[in-house]
Amino acid sequence: MKASSNGVKVKGEIFVIKDRCKGCGFCITNCPRDILELSAELNANGYHFPVVKNPDNCNNCGLCEMICPDFAIWSVKKEERRVVEV
Amino acid sequence: MVENTRKLHPADYFLYTDSIPSIWCPGCGIGTVVNTFIQAVEKSKIDFEKICVVSGIGCTGKVAEYLNFMSFMTINSNVFNFAANIKSENVDLKVVVFSNNADFLVSGAADFIEITEKGVDLIVIHTNNILYTITEHGVIPATPFVRISVDQNFQLPFNIPHLAESYGAKYIARWTPYRAGWLMYSMIDVFSKKGLSLIEVISPCLIYHASNDRMGDSVERMKFYDKYSVIRQGECTENLDIRAHNKIILGKFVNKK
Repeated sequence: MKASSNGVKVKGEIFVIKDRCKGCGFCITNCPRDILELSAELNANGYHFPVVKNPDNCNNCGLCEMICPDFAIWSVKKEERRVVEV
Repeated sequence: MVENTRKLHPADYFLYTDSIPSIWCPGCGIGTVVNTFIQAVEKSKIDFEKICVVSGIGCTGKVAEYLNFMSFMTINSNVFNFAANIKSENVDLKVVVFSNNADFLVSGAADFIEITEKGVDLIVIHTNNILYTITEHGVIPATPFVRISVDQNFQLPFNIPHLAESYGAKYIARWTPYRAGWLMYSMIDVFSKKGLSLIEVISPCLIYHASNDRMGDSVERMKFYDKYSVIRQGECTENLDIRAHNKIILGKFVNKK
């Protein structure tokens, strides 16, 4: 993974309100790092909601939050410092 | 600005959360349009108490019910009259119209022409789904020649951006809701414009694609619209009508001062 110029690698954390989801699957296909997948269980309305498959890959791009039609998913930035090797 | 807590979506501050989940079908584009609109308001740092939202009938008319701005849901095809009257009394407000095919292309078209020619400062976000979706998939003037509904269109499909440019609109763009980032940045552009500005969003109806076109579920439809659309910035608006076997042209076409 490529670090930004000041040595800070941006990481994100994803939250899902599962009872709002209608299972359209936009967030799963739109994610460039293949982080989400559909759950096996159902929510209160009878839809499969997204769950996080590999949380370490998220870089807080916000595409899932931007495209969600039902305001069910969002990501929050958390930063992690590391030294850049040239 | 809204702080991110673990229990609240960042857009919840601008919504009536009791009525969510909304009535729109799973994977409908109107939800994405509302979401990008809220994010554009957040990013452009406008005072959100000075935004007024007007919407008409149909699925798009429901937008005013969910948004926590000053919002009005008016009767059929009177959105432009209503919004222009609000703007003429309250000059400070940013009036945003969420219009529909039934509001725009039927009897509202004459109002749109009059308002554009006078240069009333409105923001029109037009959700075009190529059909009348609720009333049994009827044909509208902008339906392309292909048989995608119960009836077939026998006339030339109507070109909404060309109409708006020929009457002097200041900003014209067209996107699909699946290009949400582009859509959001052109909404941010629009907040700083004076004069009428139009953003056309081509968001297909889920039900007619599932029943008449056999296009499959929402994800397959999204991939189809990504495949059959091209971005051409600054294209001449005469070429923008949606034909059967051509690609849908997206982009920002007019940007005047």
